Amino acid sequence: MVTEEVFFAWLDGELEADEAERVAAEVESDEKLALRAEEHRALQRRLATAFGSVLSDPLPEALLAAARPEPEVVDLAAARRERQSRWSGVPQWAAIAATLAIGVFAGTMVPHRNDDPVRIDGGKVYAAASLDRALTTQLASAPAGDTRIGLTFRDQDGAMCRTFTQPAASGLACRDNQRWRLRGFLAAPEVQAGTYRMAGGMDPNLANLVGTAMAGEPFDAAQEKAARDKGWR
Amino acid sequence: MVPTISFDSELVAMLPRLRRFAHGLSRNPADADDLTQATVERALRSREQWQPGTRLDSWACRIMRNLWIDTARARSRKDKVEAPAEEGELVGEDPTSGMDASVDLGRMMAAMDRLPDEQREVVVLILIEGFGYREAAEMLDVPIGTVSSRLVRGRTALLEMVGA
Repeated sequence: MVTEEVFFAWLDGELEADEAERVAAEVESDEKLALRAEEHRALQRRLATAFGSVLSDPLPEALLAAARPEPEVVDLAAARRERQSRWSGVPQWAAIAATLAIGVFAGTMVPHRNDDPVRIDGGKVYAAASLDRALTTQLASAPAGDTRIGLTFRDQDGAMCRTFTQPAASGLACRDNQRWRLRGFLAAPEVQAGTYRMAGGMDPNLANLVGTAMAGEPFDAAQEKAARDKGWR
Repeated sequence: MVPTISFDSELVAMLPRLRRFAHGLSRNPADADDLTQATVERALRSREQWQPGTRLDSWACRIMRNLWIDTARARSRKDKVEAPAEEGELVGEDPTSGMDASVDLGRMMAAMDRLPDEQREVVVLILIEGFGYREAAEMLDVPIGTVSSRLVRGRTALLEMVGA
């Protein structure tokens, strides 16, 4: 006999493999339980669809303003000192050249935060700077910089989508008017044995997103390269 | 030299999800946006307390849940006294025929609003936001067994209200 708690833990994928198998067998042989499982799966789908509609709403301006209070004020002198210390092992001329370049860079670019890997436009969030470049040019087989590309596939509307991983985050971006619009951007999970059910190293929430978005199969290396060469159309 | 993901960027990218979580907890969309905004403001003020390398989503959801708890009980008591008529309308309707997702959202929010707070929060965290039982237990600071039994009661009551 399956208790309610165990039945639902099974339905939610919370049981260990052998216990899950035992419960699955019991549900299969019990018409009432099978019907109950189906009803609750339908309820969950309905919740996912209804509340999922919130995800595609344009974000209220007031909320965006709250999330982006003021551009960060950068202490140029401190920034220079930090950059210099990173270059302490290289010849002095190189350090000076780098300092100059960074001075110019910081002086012209910092207030706009042009290296921010995401940018908001009309309530939508897009990849920018290094993340945009990685999504546009990198192949899964050739990681460069801090970004690794994972899967490439088409979504249900035919748009190209790619997953990516950075040291602190992973996410899913899909083409939208020649830009990479972020569908998900997740903080890297805490590594804690037994807490997360990892699917091939992918954040389960990301795996979930991919599962919902993907039409057909992920691209193989040749398809991925061809798609890049065609400009992700 | 490669820019790392900043706290701000991550928080901004998380706004759609935070709004969804807020819709799961709140009585109506206006309250949900207020709650999201309050959460973002609190998260920015408390950013020093977030430990890089840990999940920002769990941290932000916990902030939202605590803010909601602070205000929800008093308000929901008040609302229920003032607006009792809505409750009967849910019962016995065909839930899904030709219904738009955003229309159904209102209906699901109204049904969720009738759950006790402690059931509602586990339903939202696990069935809508996709957290595991253990993550939800940690966020709510209760044993897993408590999460599990509240979830049983919450989803069973919800199914009775809305059909499937």
